[in-house]
Amino acid sequence: MAVDPQPPASVARISPQDEAALVARAVAGDRAAFGLLVERYAGVARRVARAVLGDPDDADDAAQDGLLSALVKLEQYDSRRPFGPWLLRIVANAATDRRRRRKVRRAEPLDPALVAGGPRPDTTAERRELSEQLRQALAELPERRRIAVVLFDVEGYAHAEIAHILGIPEGTVRSEVFHARRRLRVLLADWKEEER
Amino acid sequence: MMNQPMPFDHRRDPVLGAVLRQALDRGEEAAFVARVLARADEARATAAPWAAVLARWARTGIAAAIVIALAAGYLVGRIATGPAGRASVTEALIAPRTQAPVVDVVLASVLER
Repeated sequence: MAVDPQPPASVARISPQDEAALVARAVAGDRAAFGLLVERYAGVARRVARAVLGDPDDADDAAQDGLLSALVKLEQYDSRRPFGPWLLRIVANAATDRRRRRKVRRAEPLDPALVAGGPRPDTTAERRELSEQLRQALAELPERRRIAVVLFDVEGYAHAEIAHILGIPEGTVRSEVFHARRRLRVLLADWKEEER
Repeated sequence: MMNQPMPFDHRRDPVLGAVLRQALDRGEEAAFVARVLARADEARATAAPWAAVLARWARTGIAAAIVIALAAGYLVGRIATGPAGRASVTEALIAPRTQAPVVDVVLASVLER
């Protein structure tokens, strides 16, 4: 079973000028413009929220809270800056707030044997199994590390943009991504070994 | 085995990115977008009546404030520009100014004694 690397999400981004125009229209009450922004960022917002919360329902609620909160704050957006990081900061904060408010059930600790390269599950739903293992491994990482690696490797954001989203120095982002990768790659390496 | 990541590698790892995306994606994106837009519409709909109520209150309040200000201005103006009232005996006798003392004031002071 091969994994098809997807193109960087940045490829699919629209130009900052177009985004600024969409935001201006949305601020003026254009529902369709807001709809386009939501369509554009729904995926990344949900993934970031899920990286924080784990539970998919909670994550969708948090992503929705973040998007609606952004709609309310849209007039505060500085159109000279990229829209995505501004929006994702709001979404990440919404997810973090939700996690703090609700005592979300923590994921079961990952089996140490699994992390250490234990036997690969021999079910037919290998891909699903790998996803579950990755979610559990993510859940064990510190929250900031989770968000950083998802924004970098999944969404294609630059370190500087992630630094803006998380409100931390760029060097810290690099460190967080490095440590998250080191952890997650153990799982992935084992899985790829078994693929051969 | 995969190559160990270089510390602080600035390049994306497309393989890790793809499996992570798969692990975090829930699908049904159109339904989610529709849900968010419906909530946004609800928020607008519930906000509009309040805005209308507040606007009505504001209009009523402004009208009431104008009426009160006019009435207060009228009263203050009347007090300021109205008859000065009777001059006191002292004022009439000690500070006669250019006019002769008012007769009834002088008489009253005499009678009181």
